[in-house]
Amino acid sequence: MAAWDLTVTVEDLGPDAPPLQISVTSDLHIGGVILKLVEQTNLKRDWSDHALWWEQKQQWLLRTGWTLDKCGVHADARLIFTPQHKPLRLGLPNGATLKMRACFSSPVFRTVMGICRVLNLRHPEELSLLRPVEEKKKKKDKDSSEELYDLTDVPLTAGSVQALYNGMPAHFADSPKTEAVYKMLSVSLPSPAPEAIAKLYRPASIVDKTHIHTRWLDSSRSLMQQGIQENDKLGLRFKYYTFHDMDPKYDAVRLTQLYEQARWAILLEDIDCTEEEMMLFGALQYHIGKQSLSQDMVSSCQGMDDLESALKSLEVKMVGDGNSTDMLDNMTAPELNDHLKIFRPKRLTLKGYKQYWCKFQETSISYYKSKEDRYGEPIQQLNLKGCEVAPDVNVAGQKFCIKLLIPAPEGMNEIYLRCENEKQYSQWMAACKLASKGLTLLDSSYQSEVQNIQTFLSMQRSSSAAPTSQTDESINTHSLVSPRYQKKYKPKQLTPRILEAYQNIAQLSLTSAILKFLQIWQALPDFGISYFMVRFKGSRKDEVLGIANNRLIRIDLGVGDVVKTWRYSNMRQWNVNWDIRQVAIEFDGNINIAFGCVNADCKVVHEYIGGYIFMSTRAQQQSDTLNEELFHKLTGGHEAL
Amino acid sequence: MDDIDAMFSDMLQEMDLLTQSLGEEAESAPLPKPPTIPGPQEMNFSVGFTDFNASLHDLEDNDLDALMADLVADISATEEKFATEKDTLKGSAPVAPIPSQPPSNLSFPGSSSTLRQATSSNSIAATPPPPTSKPSKEELEEQIKADKIKLALEKLKEAKVKKLVVKVEIMDGSSKTLMVDERQTVRDVIDNLFEKTHCDCNVDWSVCETNPDLQTERGFEDHENLVEPLSTWTRDTENKVLFHEKKDKYEVFRNPQNFYMWKKDKKSLKDMKEKDKEQLLEENFCGASVIVPDLEGILYLKEDGKKSWKQRYFLLRASGLYYSPKGKTKASRDLVCLVQFDNVNVYYCKEYRIKYKAPTDHCFILKHSQIQKESQYIRYLCCDDEWTMTLWVTGIRIAKYGKQLYDNYKAAVRKAAGSATWASRSIQASSSASTPSPTPKARAANGHAPQPAVETKGSSNQTSFPPPPASMETLPPPPPDPMLPPPPPAPPSTNKVNQFPPPPQFPQSSFPPPPMDDLPPPPPPPPEDSELPPDFLPPPPPIFSSCGGEALPPPPPDPIASLPPPPALQNFASAGGAPPPPPPPPPPPAPAPAASKPAGSVRKVAPPPPKRTTPQLAAPSGGDLMSELMTAMQKKRTQ
Repeated sequence: MAAWDLTVTVEDLGPDAPPLQISVTSDLHIGGVILKLVEQTNLKRDWSDHALWWEQKQQWLLRTGWTLDKCGVHADARLIFTPQHKPLRLGLPNGATLKMRACFSSPVFRTVMGICRVLNLRHPEELSLLRPVEEKKKKKDKDSSEELYDLTDVPLTAGSVQALYNGMPAHFADSPKTEAVYKMLSVSLPSPAPEAIAKLYRPASIVDKTHIHTRWLDSSRSLMQQGIQENDKLGLRFKYYTFHDMDPKYDAVRLTQLYEQARWAILLEDIDCTEEEMMLFGALQYHIGKQSLSQDMVSSCQGMDDLESALKSLEVKMVGDGNSTDMLDNMTAPELNDHLKIFRPKRLTLKGYKQYWCKFQETSISYYKSKEDRYGEPIQQLNLKGCEVAPDVNVAGQKFCIKLLIPAPEGMNEIYLRCENEKQYSQWMAACKLASKGLTLLDSSYQSEVQNIQTFLSMQRSSSAAPTSQTDESINTHSLVSPRYQKKYKPKQLTPRILEAYQNIAQLSLTSAILKFLQIWQALPDFGISYFMVRFKGSRKDEVLGIANNRLIRIDLGVGDVVKTWRYSNMRQWNVNWDIRQVAIEFDGNINIAFGCVNADCKVVHEYIGGYIFMSTRAQQQSDTLNEELFHKLTGGHEAL
Repeated sequence: MDDIDAMFSDMLQEMDLLTQSLGEEAESAPLPKPPTIPGPQEMNFSVGFTDFNASLHDLEDNDLDALMADLVADISATEEKFATEKDTLKGSAPVAPIPSQPPSNLSFPGSSSTLRQATSSNSIAATPPPPTSKPSKEELEEQIKADKIKLALEKLKEAKVKKLVVKVEIMDGSSKTLMVDERQTVRDVIDNLFEKTHCDCNVDWSVCETNPDLQTERGFEDHENLVEPLSTWTRDTENKVLFHEKKDKYEVFRNPQNFYMWKKDKKSLKDMKEKDKEQLLEENFCGASVIVPDLEGILYLKEDGKKSWKQRYFLLRASGLYYSPKGKTKASRDLVCLVQFDNVNVYYCKEYRIKYKAPTDHCFILKHSQIQKESQYIRYLCCDDEWTMTLWVTGIRIAKYGKQLYDNYKAAVRKAAGSATWASRSIQASSSASTPSPTPKARAANGHAPQPAVETKGSSNQTSFPPPPASMETLPPPPPDPMLPPPPPAPPSTNKVNQFPPPPQFPQSSFPPPPMDDLPPPPPPPPEDSELPPDFLPPPPPIFSSCGGEALPPPPPDPIASLPPPPALQNFASAGGAPPPPPPPPPPPAPAPAASKPAGSVRKVAPPPPKRTTPQLAAPSGGDLMSELMTAMQKKRTQ
């Protein structure tokens, strides 16, 4: 057989080195070509990761057993000998950029699996890669200042079982640098400065939202095939909004990154929420941020109630075991006694605050005309169990009021308590808060509640100063809400509202707070809907198709109203006519729909629908191995099979 | 050491008195407090009666029996629990008390033989050591001490539990009276009522509250506690507790499509496959967060303080009920929150067209559960038709309770299935159920042997219990004796709610308690008795009880002998050695007011309660004892 010259560029020889010419025959298999090539370079190194990339055809020659003839390679082919794993800059859900090696030759689905294995993210099928928003030219110079986390030295391990070391996967425990990366991955980042949020791209309409989803990569083709070059930037995001088998024990990174993605979705108004919901999200962000900073301090507030702890210490005493004098001291029921000003708003009265001697005991406040009267009958006793407590505070104006709405058969009794100073306020406020839940001052959470309130007050004090991002104590509440609410409220107005929401969640642990955040996010009506601009067959105008985990939604572009909903459970089959790029779906009851995609590739839509159906099969098969083949079958990824 | 021992003995004695009086309480349901217990703090009171006397009149004999059975079972279960724990712990060093919740349902092995065992172990467990003497047995001192501590703890727990006597109206106009303690959930109460009423036990049965002032009705959710909401009712309330089937209670789980796909034509949803329904439930109730039906539409809202109703476009979200203000879109950011659900409940309303000039009669309100009268803090809403109202009320319940609602439903289905199987078995078994001769004590408990065992059991175990005993209805209730004296007066209460003998408190002044191991308590002359209304006779003399009638409760038992006292006459002989009985509670006078009209003239008789703006509820009793102990120990320490 005639020998001919094959031109191969070896990247490792440097960009200026001329391509190598090797003499081959058509029946030489790829492995043979590589062997010849390596011999000719005279370089001693590990070539095992290298493979041949055929530039004109945009494909990898990975089957080493195939002959050149079978691959269709002829003398005109320009091949490149290059590593399959290359560094990639990954934009993570939390906004950080991480440089790490990823596989450029396997289908993106598998590449993501590899990335997730390194990052210790379970269920990689829920994530995918997408191209970043095109950045404007002038931002280019800013790029250099961007903080980069580097994981390129960490080898991609093949094993799926991760050994834990120091509470993190072993490959992160190698050096302080990688440990820092793991911390970045598993602990939520401080709140950004409000200006930073305002500067970022926000979708202004549902049409804008459809653009996000045009950027997803094709899961069945490799990065190289999709034009991604070494050191390019891609975003790693949760793509399918069904989070399987979430377990805080194993999912530290997954939970944190999901929380970050949800947080940014809310801050950037990707998903709409009401004002009340935004305040709660803000409060949770504040709480999570604070807890993340002091993660080591594990609060030990067990649910042991007063009586039982008292009895326990009693028993210890009885058995005569150790000295427990202090325990007994603790058991004298604590109470608060102080002068407070009380105001009961009534219609047609101009009476203001009047000073009384107040006693807080158990869950009630008793007040007396003066301190001297305190042993007599109180003027009134207010039982706070079940009442609503709201702060009415203005630190600058030195106004520390507690508004109580105490339920009574006739309605709610509205009562204001005015405190002299921050200290008094935080003590009484904490007591009121606990009492409304039926807890007394004895409860172990009392001290931390007092502390929380003080911290929050100091936050209000500092918010009038120049806005800064979250530091140890202070935080600008503007960084907790989306730009819409930044515009609507001054920090001074915003803080009390977030404080109000904060009171109900202040006792949550870090993990529960994150879970709560995700829960509320998932309960939003628009949660988990990915939008695509489509044109239905027989229709003349563009419409929006929403794809959720259980249904397809047809949305009128003009009004934004839901026109029709189809559920996957009624779906008989769907297919794609690749020639006219049209998706056709048949539902029960002979309902057929067909549509073409206006701005996205219809493969993306196809993959979304098939992907959700794949996700729903996971519940049944509880095995750990991912059925890659099924995924590609369902998502039309025949190329990868 | 002696000090502590003595103190402990004292404490145990107190405990025994306390448990005793609990038993006594059962017999003498609404009697004045036992004289040994001075200065009662309110612990127990009745609901469903307009006042104390009404509750007394309304108690039918069998109710009384049943009530007592409840109580006796309660106590003996506690004793039994302790006894078994004691057995298992024998020989071991003093063990820390298990800080577990008191059992919310008292588990009792079913057969009468185990019951006998339980009661006999009671007598051991309950025996208080004489105050000063050292234990004569050879057991280690430590061991005894540990036992004592445990006993004390158990009793303390039992004493702390707040109980209510609740009259529940059943659909046919009849009523049942039962004892509900604060640990019981509505589910437990329903199970209890199933036992008492022998209805078909389907999942729709629910316990509801009605408020005639507001013309509202609300079904309690199965996981709620009954005692807490009822405790906040006013003293003169005419609110009622009903027990009936409510179709909409769990309709959302039978036909989720009607709620989650409400926009679609209802006819097309009628034939939805079971599999699809299950999937809908799975999607909406089994995820990380419960999905609330995406309800939206026009409802009428009564304007604050005005008589007019205004149309608004409402939307339901998990975070609350919202409406979109005029001229705005229904985008989330523009919505105005009417109310969030943390602190309010949703109530169906009746006949608001007349009461409030509502556009239709299909109204519901949202209010804090303690609000009992018209108030600006109530949100009034009105729907076009009944289905819309059901949709919204159910949606709000889902938003408020979330997955709990689904769990309740599943539990109810299990329960219904369980009772269906044994209901059929019970028919053949019922004849035999009454034949095995029960222990005297068990019989004594309510004159009908296995009842208490089954009753307590029912709440704890749905599948494995034996067939139910013959129903109470099969036994003719003891005839009321018209010659009986009128009921003794209510103890004038310092609190606003009717009360009957509370478990003993340990007020500061009375610690060490008067010894009364074997002395019968004197008839109760509470100091306040002087204010008695004239139409009341003083408590009947003890002798009445022996000739009074079958239903008369027995004397308080000799604490050393056994705990559950024999209440019925035929068993008096068995308790023969007991000391003379205390003032017995006479059965209600013959002309008991109709169940539905408990108010009437009787109410006027009751001494008016002192007014209080804020309801003050029962103070925990355990605390007093604790502080007593504390001071005692502190004293010891300083010596």
